[in-house]
Amino acid sequence: MADVTLPSLGESVTEGIIIRWFKKVGDSVARDEPLFEVSTDKVDSEMPSPAAGVLVQILAEEGDTVETGSRVAVIDENAVPGVPGQVVAPAPVAASAQVARPVESGSDQSVSGLVVSPVVRRILSDGGIEASAVLGTGPGGSITRRDAERAVANGPADDKVVALSNGVRRMGQHMTLSAQSAPHGFVAIEVDADVFGDLESIGRVTRDGVVIADEVVVALAAVRALGEFEFLNATFASDELVVHRTVNLGFMRDVAGDGMLVPVVHAAAGLTLRALARRVDELAHRVASHQLTTDDLMGGTFTILGAPSAHTLWVEPIIIQPEVAVLSVGAVREVPVIEQHDGQPRVGIGRRVVLGLAFDHRVCESMAAAAYLERVGELLAGMDIESER
Amino acid sequence: MANEVQQFDVVIIGGGPGGYAAALYAAAAGLNVALVERDKVGGTCLHRGCVPAKEFLETAHVRRTVEHSASFGITTKGVEVDFSVSQSRKNEIVGRLYKGLSGLLKGRKVTVFEGTGRLDADLTVSVLDGADAGVKAKGTNVILAAGSVPRTLPGFEVDGKIVFTSDEFLELTSLPKSAAVIGGGAIGCEFASMLADMGTQVTILEGLPTILAGCDTEVVSVVQRAFKKRGIDVRAGVTVTGHKASKGATKIAIDGSDDVEVDMVVLSVGRRPRTEGLLGEGTGVQIDDRGFVIADGYQRTANAHVFAVGDVVANTPQLAHVGFAEAIVAIKTILGESVVPVDYDRVPWAIYSNPEVAFCGLTEAGAKERGYDVVVKKDPFGGNSRAQIIGETDGVVKIIAEKRPDGTAGQILGVHMAGPWVTEQLGAGYFAVNWEATAEEAAALIQPHPSLSETFGETLLALAGRGLHVG
Repeated sequence: MADVTLPSLGESVTEGIIIRWFKKVGDSVARDEPLFEVSTDKVDSEMPSPAAGVLVQILAEEGDTVETGSRVAVIDENAVPGVPGQVVAPAPVAASAQVARPVESGSDQSVSGLVVSPVVRRILSDGGIEASAVLGTGPGGSITRRDAERAVANGPADDKVVALSNGVRRMGQHMTLSAQSAPHGFVAIEVDADVFGDLESIGRVTRDGVVIADEVVVALAAVRALGEFEFLNATFASDELVVHRTVNLGFMRDVAGDGMLVPVVHAAAGLTLRALARRVDELAHRVASHQLTTDDLMGGTFTILGAPSAHTLWVEPIIIQPEVAVLSVGAVREVPVIEQHDGQPRVGIGRRVVLGLAFDHRVCESMAAAAYLERVGELLAGMDIESER
Repeated sequence: MANEVQQFDVVIIGGGPGGYAAALYAAAAGLNVALVERDKVGGTCLHRGCVPAKEFLETAHVRRTVEHSASFGITTKGVEVDFSVSQSRKNEIVGRLYKGLSGLLKGRKVTVFEGTGRLDADLTVSVLDGADAGVKAKGTNVILAAGSVPRTLPGFEVDGKIVFTSDEFLELTSLPKSAAVIGGGAIGCEFASMLADMGTQVTILEGLPTILAGCDTEVVSVVQRAFKKRGIDVRAGVTVTGHKASKGATKIAIDGSDDVEVDMVVLSVGRRPRTEGLLGEGTGVQIDDRGFVIADGYQRTANAHVFAVGDVVANTPQLAHVGFAEAIVAIKTILGESVVPVDYDRVPWAIYSNPEVAFCGLTEAGAKERGYDVVVKKDPFGGNSRAQIIGETDGVVKIIAEKRPDGTAGQILGVHMAGPWVTEQLGAGYFAVNWEATAEEAAALIQPHPSLSETFGETLLALAGRGLHVG
């Protein structure tokens, strides 16, 4: 028998909530196969099985809060899957039609706007309502005649009450805290971005096989500029500013439908473009596979937010507490620029990007913020991308 | 070969309508498919169910036509029946269809393994016996389509001489003088009707208060009247307790009625799923207490990569065409395509007795049970010109619609038919119910004249407020 314990979830974390078991009692499980999901105030993580065998006992049910290090399940390494005699606790899934139906939110195939009846299509068309705006209540989420008539009478979809996911709730709490505690100032400047043209022509893939995102190039310049503007690489504590010697650079990352995470590249100062790109890529993989640990999310001193869309001009981000500034990067745009040609001005094609800095106005002011951004712009414009890569 | 595990996209256990439809549909989508069948592809439906039974019923129909030919001025010298000819004609039809299906599967490159399949852990299907015994086929997904077998009754040992289930009945080469059909559902009524048309004295023994339970009462009474007219002794609400055989006949003891002495007993008391031995250890698939496989609307079992279709699925009608539909849902789900689950409340039902029964959607009682206020109209076939021409005027069309607040008929909830060729006529009613048409929307569409389908059209007109003939 092998005990499954709740492993350490990071330095400052002592407990977690079991939010989901991927296996039930009697199921076989491979070593390192995701066994359960645990939620902390920082992140939801999938926990791998420490052993191969059959899950014979679950000691912490979904919803239970568990201290790190305590037993949550038992795996029999010698058992044969599905042999009832070896199951210690009754399987949580009863053999009734109601319970046993595998309704997994992740695999729900119902889609909005599913019309199976031409009559329904005509009712919606006569009523001037898009099928995609109607919530179907028929099999598989299909729109019934009743749904269509209700939509025509009352307007498209009935209001929907959506429970917040853990990730969204965590994001909301942090952003509210930050917005309420720190008076935010914001400056945006437009800078030369021809370096991205160089990047395109040389190729974005590093020797490690990692694709260099625009955000990472800006991050490199931002980290270097922080050496001259160290009061921005700082955290605010009660009435003091703690200026940090190392740069721990956070990257704001949306998690589809589950809020936002800010994984941190620790000790980013001095990293080459290639090394920084690799570290960012590793974090991205851990975000996607729910493998982030609390430590990945701790210790940030400065944060960067990449362009959320291809046409973003700028974003005014909210500061990640207790940091004092966050740099936002717009989308790189091709724009007409005035250049000198044989001593005459003429219009050419150049690249520009808007950099923004949201700062804590208790410890920083617009001129300093703008000066920092100008410096980042200079470092970007002067970057020799070929040798950096 | 025997010990090597072969890999497929989909492995299907059972080659009946659910299984072969899944195989054909998956293969059409380019998937690599294996099908494990213990007997012959085609399953119960083709070899021991729907298809052979309908051939017998058609024989009865031909006999009725010959018997009534004098009214058309065509006279014959008596009617002689050689039922063995009908039996071999049935076998020829089944044989042709079997050959066609086998060729279709081959043409789509479906690998057919002969033997009994068992699902083991790790999505591996083992062939336990038959020509391919020892084969192990692993599927990315597995479909359980093992089908069903006739239920039997304690005290009635099936011997194929006196006591028959549908399996043995459909192999008959001659018919008995008298027979008792135990179980007055769809299959029982088909057998009773066919036997009576062929001259057998028939008694139906049904435990429920009525035959054809689940059908609309109007339809049931049409069938009951027609059966009575043909001399079928229908005894509902009775319990058989056993029988005592002697010299090629037997006496059935009945609780709630007089005993009856017959040459043959036909058991048609439902079908049970063939799931014993279907699952090895560690499959994760769940079976209910009656032995059916539990699956959701996308045919997924408790194991996300194991699907179930057809008669093995719990709480769904045991109909071949439902199996076809479920197979398509399963394959589309496997392919990750958008799909609407089968709406079991609105599948078409067809019973090929004389008179035929066909319906779709809620019965009048069922609609009221679900809290609907209803408007109901019905039109008998008696006034239909085509029905008079073909000489079959017994029957009715009944349509149930939701009652709107102003009292008029709204959405059509159910269409119920009994009478000539209604199994072929149901299509229009099926569309009306499933497309959720209102009475007036469906009534605006035209039926050809003269045709049997005018009775459906006339009922719709009446339901929409004003009929030509029906009030």
